[in-house]
Amino acid sequence: MLLKIDGLRSSYGPIEVLHDVSIDANSAEVVSILGSNGAGKSTLLKVISGILTPTKGSISIEGIIINGFEPSKIVKMGIIHVPEGRHIFPGLTVKENLLLGGYFENTENNKKSMDFVLSTFPILKDRLNERAGMLSGGEQQMLALGRGLMGKPKLLLLDEPSLGLAPKITSEIFQIILDLSKQKKMGVLLVEQNAKKALEISDRGYVLVNGKIALSGRSKDLKSNPEVQKLYLGGKNV
Amino acid sequence: MFSLFFRGLATGSIYSLTAVGIVLILSTTNVMNFAQGDMGMILAFIAFVLLMSKMPYIVAVIVIIIIGIILGYFLEKGIMSRIRKTSHIAMVMITLALTMIFEGIVGIFVQTPLLFPAAIPGPPVILKGVVMDRQDLLSLGAALFVVTTLFLALYRTKIGIASRSLAEDEYAAKLMGIPVKNIYIFIWSTSFGLAGLAGIMVAPRLSLEPTFMVVVQLKAFIAAVLGGMNSVVGAVIGGLLLGVIENFVSFYIPQIKDSFSLILVVIVLLFLPQGLFGKKETRRA
Repeated sequence: MLLKIDGLRSSYGPIEVLHDVSIDANSAEVVSILGSNGAGKSTLLKVISGILTPTKGSISIEGIIINGFEPSKIVKMGIIHVPEGRHIFPGLTVKENLLLGGYFENTENNKKSMDFVLSTFPILKDRLNERAGMLSGGEQQMLALGRGLMGKPKLLLLDEPSLGLAPKITSEIFQIILDLSKQKKMGVLLVEQNAKKALEISDRGYVLVNGKIALSGRSKDLKSNPEVQKLYLGGKNV
Repeated sequence: MFSLFFRGLATGSIYSLTAVGIVLILSTTNVMNFAQGDMGMILAFIAFVLLMSKMPYIVAVIVIIIIGIILGYFLEKGIMSRIRKTSHIAMVMITLALTMIFEGIVGIFVQTPLLFPAAIPGPPVILKGVVMDRQDLLSLGAALFVVTTLFLALYRTKIGIASRSLAEDEYAAKLMGIPVKNIYIFIWSTSFGLAGLAGIMVAPRLSLEPTFMVVVQLKAFIAAVLGGMNSVVGAVIGGLLLGVIENFVSFYIPQIKDSFSLILVVIVLLFLPQGLFGKKETRRA
């Protein structure tokens, strides 16, 4: 088991956001986390990547419990978090952004990873020396993903990769995520508001409601679940 | 004419050395460091004591830079890292407090201005009719060396690029696994090491007293504004430019000598808020 989360609780100050969350994910598996605004999806990712610390429960990666580890240690273990809103470094060049994604890798590895990232997102190739802030939204998302890939993730935590993107670009990016997962045997935890698209590419899914797992199962089954349809898929048959 | 120009460059190099430290901290931590000049002052004072106890000059310089680095380490580790999350303005206030503490400490020991020995004593060098003071040549050389080294460090090394990323988005830097705490230590240490170098370069030209770096600090701010506040290269060019312009102004219009640099900063901020070399904050939404 790549990721196993058991009975996780986490709070912002006195307010508990996650109540007893248990999820797991395997290598080469895309797992989506669905839920409305404020359900605790982003918090969950932040707790996994060490930005927030859990108050109870355990998070383990390949059997090693990582609760309370510094973010840098978690990154070194191959858990890479691509945050909501992309958070690229706008004043740094595209190349510098990518290099920072491979902060712990040596020059040779970074060169290989960069070649791989640029073949995955050829659009970045021509813009390597441009400042990242000048890229379009879609390109910035590709950069954020590419920067994440530079860290050679075993587990990629993706927070709202479709946010603010045109449907066509979203589909393109989702396809790339799916391919990468299978090709690189990489686990992906995908947090999305766009439930329909997320369920299309994921193997399994969890529905988070008010900080609790309300439903879980194979994406196929979730898609046909009447409650999920009503709440997250716009009530139509998909 | 050339002498005037050279002398201006030399004065400017002193502004540059302090401006670089200010910009380094400002552009990465967004803290306006008022203590940069006075950190140099107290380090120059320690250097004076070391030199008086017969320590070789070059050893004293190295020791001073190391002490600066250590003080930077303790400031970040002991104070700044603790209040960073709570209050940004408190960090700025602490640098202001440091200036008073440093001036107070040195004031206990130094009542009358001390004469700081020159690094390379001897008659000025005369090249094609231009009279060049040895100390001036040295500080100019030091400024150029520092800016080259810093530029390479900030743009060509991982830790340098990471330092720049911190100023842009600390959260994202953390997610990349960048050891943010260590980078802050690196920045403050480098900056205070530079303060020591600046202090030791300035002290022989002025005399050693608790407030001798105050004017330099002010001029360094102006140099940093000229250079756009976010680029070390800009700060150095800004400093040199300020030195040269100031020297010409004080020669031809001595009446406005003191107020000139302040007028200049108002003009620059009004018409060129990005400074002469600063990057424009253009970005797509």
